[in-house]
Amino acid sequence: MPGKKQKGSAAKTQKTKHVSGYRRSEYMEQKVFRKGGIDVGFLTVVIVLLVLGLLMVFSASYPSANYNFGDGLYFIRRQAIWALIGVAAMIFTIRFDYRMYKKLAVPIALVTLFLLAAVFLFPAVKGARRWIGFGSFSFQPSEMAKIAVIIYFAAGLSNTKEKIRDIRILARYWGMLLIVLGLLILEPHFSVCLIIGFVAVIMLLVAGARVRHFAVASLVAVPVVIAVATRASYRMDRLRVFWDPFIDKQGDGWQIIQSLYAIGSGGIFGLGFGNSRQKYMYVSEPQNDFIFAIVCEELGMVGAFVIIALFGILIWRGIKIAMNAPDAFGSLLVTGIISLIGVQTFLNIAVVTKMIPTTGISLPFFSAGGSSLVFLMAAMGMVLNVSRFKTQIVDIR
Amino acid sequence: MAIQAPKTDLRKRMFNVMLFFTALFVILGLYILKIHIFDGEKYRTGAIEQQTRDYQVSSARGTIYDRNGKTLAVSSSAETISVNPEEIKKAEYAIDELANKLGEILELDPEELKPKLTKDAKDVEIKRKVESEVADEVRALNLKGIYFKEDTKRYYPYGAFASHVIGFTGRDNQGLGGIEMVYDDELSGVPGRVVTLKNAHGTDMPFQEEKHIDSENGLNVVLTIDETIQHFAEKHLANVYNQTEAAEGVATIVMDVNTAEVLAMATMPNFDLNTPNELIDEVTLRRLDEIEDEEEYDKAVVEAKNKMWRNKAVVDSYEPGSCFKIMTMSMALEEGVVTPEDNFFCPGFKEVADRTIHCAEESGHGPETFKDGVKNSCNPVFIEVGQRVGIEKFKEYYKAFGFNDKTGFDLPGEASGVFFTEEQFNIVELATASFGQGQKVTPLQLISAVSAIANGGTLMKPYLVKELTDEDGNVVKKMEPTVVRQIVSEETSKTVRALLENAVDTGSGQNAYIKGYRVAGKTGTSEKIPRGQGKYIASFVGFAPANDPQIACLVVVDEPSLGSYYGGAVAAPVVGKIMEDTLKYLGVEPQYTTEEKTSIDVAVPDVVGLDLAAAKTKIEDMGLKYTIVGGGNVVTAQMPSFGATVNAGSVVVLYTEGTEETATVTVPDVTGKTLSEVRTILTAQGLNLSIVGAGATGEDNDRTIAESQKPAAGSAIARGEVVEVEFRFLDVEGTVED
Repeated sequence: MPGKKQKGSAAKTQKTKHVSGYRRSEYMEQKVFRKGGIDVGFLTVVIVLLVLGLLMVFSASYPSANYNFGDGLYFIRRQAIWALIGVAAMIFTIRFDYRMYKKLAVPIALVTLFLLAAVFLFPAVKGARRWIGFGSFSFQPSEMAKIAVIIYFAAGLSNTKEKIRDIRILARYWGMLLIVLGLLILEPHFSVCLIIGFVAVIMLLVAGARVRHFAVASLVAVPVVIAVATRASYRMDRLRVFWDPFIDKQGDGWQIIQSLYAIGSGGIFGLGFGNSRQKYMYVSEPQNDFIFAIVCEELGMVGAFVIIALFGILIWRGIKIAMNAPDAFGSLLVTGIISLIGVQTFLNIAVVTKMIPTTGISLPFFSAGGSSLVFLMAAMGMVLNVSRFKTQIVDIR
Repeated sequence: MAIQAPKTDLRKRMFNVMLFFTALFVILGLYILKIHIFDGEKYRTGAIEQQTRDYQVSSARGTIYDRNGKTLAVSSSAETISVNPEEIKKAEYAIDELANKLGEILELDPEELKPKLTKDAKDVEIKRKVESEVADEVRALNLKGIYFKEDTKRYYPYGAFASHVIGFTGRDNQGLGGIEMVYDDELSGVPGRVVTLKNAHGTDMPFQEEKHIDSENGLNVVLTIDETIQHFAEKHLANVYNQTEAAEGVATIVMDVNTAEVLAMATMPNFDLNTPNELIDEVTLRRLDEIEDEEEYDKAVVEAKNKMWRNKAVVDSYEPGSCFKIMTMSMALEEGVVTPEDNFFCPGFKEVADRTIHCAEESGHGPETFKDGVKNSCNPVFIEVGQRVGIEKFKEYYKAFGFNDKTGFDLPGEASGVFFTEEQFNIVELATASFGQGQKVTPLQLISAVSAIANGGTLMKPYLVKELTDEDGNVVKKMEPTVVRQIVSEETSKTVRALLENAVDTGSGQNAYIKGYRVAGKTGTSEKIPRGQGKYIASFVGFAPANDPQIACLVVVDEPSLGSYYGGAVAAPVVGKIMEDTLKYLGVEPQYTTEEKTSIDVAVPDVVGLDLAAAKTKIEDMGLKYTIVGGGNVVTAQMPSFGATVNAGSVVVLYTEGTEETATVTVPDVTGKTLSEVRTILTAQGLNLSIVGAGATGEDNDRTIAESQKPAAGSAIARGEVVEVEFRFLDVEGTVED
């Protein structure tokens, strides 16, 4: 829908034409936008991670799918379809001029807020209202919220620029953030709150917000978080189980113990692809949040390091794209998306390895789940689209 | 759109973001490394533990055979049934219905079954040792979540037979008593193992790394017990137990004197090996019924069970009483301090140190030879003989006979006996020990020692297991008779045999007499400590044939509560009966003495239809007499009829033609009469006598009394019929009186 029209408008305002293979702006003197090829390195890592993710979903989900649905391919079939949709979404966003997001930032934010509010019209699933739609056609607005917040922040921050050093301007962003997080807490969906909060803080800091302003904020936030965390006794129980999961091996400790058993079983080189034993209903829903445990079991410590390294490369290439982006909006948009992946990857693996208490955070590219994969792939396309634009100093004759 | 000037700051901060994430990822990597280094092994072990199921494949338990290959204990395959409640829940079975169905097939209470079916677990055992046919019924229900595991069940085809010897097995087929326990390792073999992988719901994983370790089947145990002899022993022992209602039970051992193989070993009360926890003994049950108080009853039940599981023949030591005189005479003869013809005088007591020890015959036996002293079981004679042996020698022999040690027998809980301490054993103790008071021995020790004397003086180690065989019947290990030591010479052995045979033929042991088999033996009656309560142990130990001993037999009756308590009256007849059956079964040739030949059993010939002259000759040829009824010339009927066994010298009544019917007479009551009186009474009625028991010695004295008769008094039988009369020698024996 927006594609061609937007491109047209861009051409109109900037009036580009070809000069010895370059498309250059007539209004710019020192720097020009060049629409070049996408970052192949980044794309390669994305595809490698996507394929690895699909393979692992296949391996990890097969026994439980077979047990629960009588069909071992239940999850992988869905995931593969979602991956195709995700690739299509990525192809679209690769071609969609990222600068349009800046203009669409407010509408997108409003739609997201509407959808986040809409979840309360739908029945709760396992005590939380996170979905809209029914059955297979349901999706999580929180996934959309992650991207929406990034776009909104990137758009706003690229406009306000250095004013962000002023705490009054910063407070405005905090206020916006609190509305989104508030809605998410009501669902409740703490893990997404955590991720969005984390990403937003990174974006604000990158945009130039002062660290000491955050120190002031944390003076308020920390006691509140502690109060919330300790108020409900089950959270304290969870914390105790976190310190020693074996005190409740069959109950709350089960999931993390099974995860650690899987990691331990893998050893250095793993049991081999497809050979996990822990996926046989020991690790519950092994295709979801704990898929990395199955990765460790099948591919070993070496495999785990390779995958962490792939995420590292993705972040490196991503930040490089951000640094080379032609404008502040592009930089902040890519930084936000890359931070999102970085934060989710870190938190997910930290949970699986019991570095932090268990909370439901999926591993990008790996954990099964339709909306998250589609939004992730779309975001990857956005990054790649940004990578097509570069600044270049042009000799004016 | 303008490009900001401070873009370099932005770039720097973005680069910091990359550094930040790089640092986080490095931390993750190090954390994973840390897990592997510090806890990897622990987690791996934990995982393997929960993922694997270790099945034990039970090895077939060996069979227990008697010496002739009769099966006494055998295992057959059975199954253990368990459930996985998680799968049952998933299958959504109606629990009530399921519990009822399973309960009906497995004979379990559905109410007890329900919690097991709904338990929060993955493997719950519901019944063990289920017979295959029953398990198949459950299998046919085709239910999810029900698992079958191989198991075995032990069967004892003869039930209570030789229960103390064989022993029984527990829940896990482990031996809990007797041979089952002592030879548990050999019988059980080496169980195999199967390790399989299972998922979190307890079912097998599709890819299998099964590990098999084959099981090794157990060996078969072949006992020295002879099923037939054991049967004789148990039959006669049960009789005496029921007659006397011995409060502390009765026991017997039959031993091969030359090898010390135990041919039979029985204790009453006993129990059924298939239900070892149930009281089956009638005498015990009757006693328990009399207890009103519930608490007391429960206590009594526990006591009764412990008593019934006790293998008295091995684990209980007792005062042997006069039976021990066999040892005293053996050592004295061996030491040459006495000969059978030495003269003694018994005034009815003997003074030792400051004590007066009485003879059982308070009036005294008067002048007697040593031979008579043995026959009379005269205490003063044995005190004198013991003194001639002396304290040191006595102790030496006592030890040599093996009374200080356990015999090393194949059954659990063997006792070693009790003897005086070094300081305690003085002249008075020597005196009482000479006739078997003060020391305690086990039945097994005593019969081993007696067997040694009988076989020519060599003490053998008693044993119960003849060989171990594998499943194909190959002998894996063969037990050989083991010589412990030579105790007395062949010469002494021979003398003792003669003296003891004399004691049975004419003396206190007459009730053990068997016609045709030369039984030698000694009675024993000991008053239990504390004395004066009227609690006695009656015993008899003997062997036969006296000139070439083959088997020895000991019977101990502990606290007879009905009838006599004398060893000669209570235990000796049992030994006699067991010996008679056993010797006949073993095919030992009977040897009749001259007197016996006169009362030897003969079969009545068929003379019906013969003329009188021919009939007379035929009857006289058999050593029988005759009377003729009627005036005819041809025999039309005879009594006893053809084939009946009667004593030689019995009278056959011949009816000739013209006599309408055979005359009947009423059987008179002969119980309580002496042998000669019985003869007179029966002859007067025209009836023939068949003597059983002590009377068969032919010794006619006022102590040999008819105990029972068959047919009973008052019944009408044909003239000439045989009346079987069992005689008892009324024995009197010594107890010490201070």
